[in-house]
Amino acid sequence: MRRYRLLFTALVLAVLQIGFLSWIIAARAALLRDGREVLLKVEPVDPRDLLRGDYVRLGYDISTIPRDLVTFGPPIESERGADVYVRLKRQPDGFWRVASAYVDAPPATPVPEGEIELRGKLAYSVPPDPVRVHYGIERFYLPEGEGKPIERDMRVRSFGVLAAVGADGAARIKALMDGDTKMFEEPLY
Amino acid sequence: MSGYSKRLARDIERWVGSGLIDRPTGETLLRDAEKNDRRSFSFGFILMMMATLLLCAALLLVIASNWEAIPRLTRVLAVFAFILAGYVGGALVKLRGHDAFAEAAWLVAAAAFGGGIALIGQMYHLSGDEEMAILTWCAGTGLAAVLLRSGPLTIGAAAIAASWLFTEGFDIWGRSLVPISYPLVAAAIWLVSLWTRSAATRHLLVLSLIAYAVMLAADRDVTLFGSLLAAVSLVLLIASVLAGPAAERIVQLDGRLPLHALLGFLAGAAMLQFEHTENAAALVAAALVVFAVIAGTVYLLGRDSRGLRWLAYLGFAFELCFLYMATVGTMLGTAGLLLAVGLVLAVAAFLIIRIERRMKMEPA
Repeated sequence: MRRYRLLFTALVLAVLQIGFLSWIIAARAALLRDGREVLLKVEPVDPRDLLRGDYVRLGYDISTIPRDLVTFGPPIESERGADVYVRLKRQPDGFWRVASAYVDAPPATPVPEGEIELRGKLAYSVPPDPVRVHYGIERFYLPEGEGKPIERDMRVRSFGVLAAVGADGAARIKALMDGDTKMFEEPLY
Repeated sequence: MSGYSKRLARDIERWVGSGLIDRPTGETLLRDAEKNDRRSFSFGFILMMMATLLLCAALLLVIASNWEAIPRLTRVLAVFAFILAGYVGGALVKLRGHDAFAEAAWLVAAAAFGGGIALIGQMYHLSGDEEMAILTWCAGTGLAAVLLRSGPLTIGAAAIAASWLFTEGFDIWGRSLVPISYPLVAAAIWLVSLWTRSAATRHLLVLSLIAYAVMLAADRDVTLFGSLLAAVSLVLLIASVLAGPAAERIVQLDGRLPLHALLGFLAGAAMLQFEHTENAAALVAAALVVFAVIAGTVYLLGRDSRGLRWLAYLGFAFELCFLYMATVGTMLGTAGLLLAVGLVLAVAAFLIIRIERRMKMEPA
């Protein structure tokens, strides 16, 4: 009987951890599949993560928001890591840019027609001007050794990122764009 | 502990020679001691763990390399297969009585779980969630340690937690944010270690907590956290003097609580003194307290532990050097300083020799 209990425990543990990982994968894939698309302009910013490998660091023009577009919530001195709700509007050149932003509290008004609400985190406490925001899409992981050439190209040409935005405002990278051509399009899984 | 059997063999030889016990009894005693000794230290087990760590590192690096030759979905499935085969295979091997292989397989499975988290971050280009990722890995490893009642997995969880502390605490861009919640995580793993009977985990946790206090002090307020560390350590030292066995029953640190407490005290006292070098009188007063604690520790607790005595001597030497560095030019001329250091070192050597000889003459 003890035999089976240890085996059963090990099996449950494996299924739990595999299930947990699959659940995260499913959630990410669902966002890519069902989220609304926004095209964001990338500004070249360099790379390596110990566990995840090489990546290109991405800065967006929507990562820095002029202070007059930002409405602050009740606490005036907002902490680093506070929620930021950023509403994007599509511009004639195809890129989406910031229409308005709200720190700490979500805006009372519903999202206007033609705009998309994106959620980010404040990069620094006591926001300076312009306000810096992280969206969790600041890295693009690449096979080992392929990061440098792309970063070099990013300094001379304009790149974009096609992102999917979920109902809760979370964004995920769908594709890295070199002008109008998709360089790396991410499969769902 | 392999030295213990050797020492015992010599003693038994003497006892047999002097007729205290007969030879068969002596041999029985020695065999029993060797059997128990082997259980606590096994070279094979340690080699196995080292091999396992290399395997785990290789696995994590393959994932990090983002190798295109293997399609992503295949990589995900391979990670799942490692988790399943590791946990279940480990359990199967454990039932056959091969504990070392079982622990090794479980460690690989736990590493694969961490690799899976990293792989997802890579696949979906996540950024800014590294802290959450490493904590999730730590929790998954802790859960595995509890369910499988595994000591090495508990150490793994503690090591992951400590790496979280250090990566968050030392940010390369100077925006270091020492995680305030580290003691909570450490406390949770401590509880797990009681269930899995892993004293090594507790040693690791105590050391990491001392490091945590030092980082907090450097990050925020040296005086506050330095005094806090020194005070808590001093209380623990006094507790081990007054109620040693009771304290040991609570912390279960193989009787090494005084060693950790003295290390904590010395670290806290050193930080305080470095911070307040300008006040010579306070410095000398603080040094006297440190000397008193060191001497008291050696006198009251040093008999049972050579490690504790040597840490005390090290602290003593360090304190002396520091004191003279800090007071040079204010109390003595340089020539006088050299003379004084020479004299003090001679006195220190004399004291250490006396103490060591007394410890030898009064066997515990």
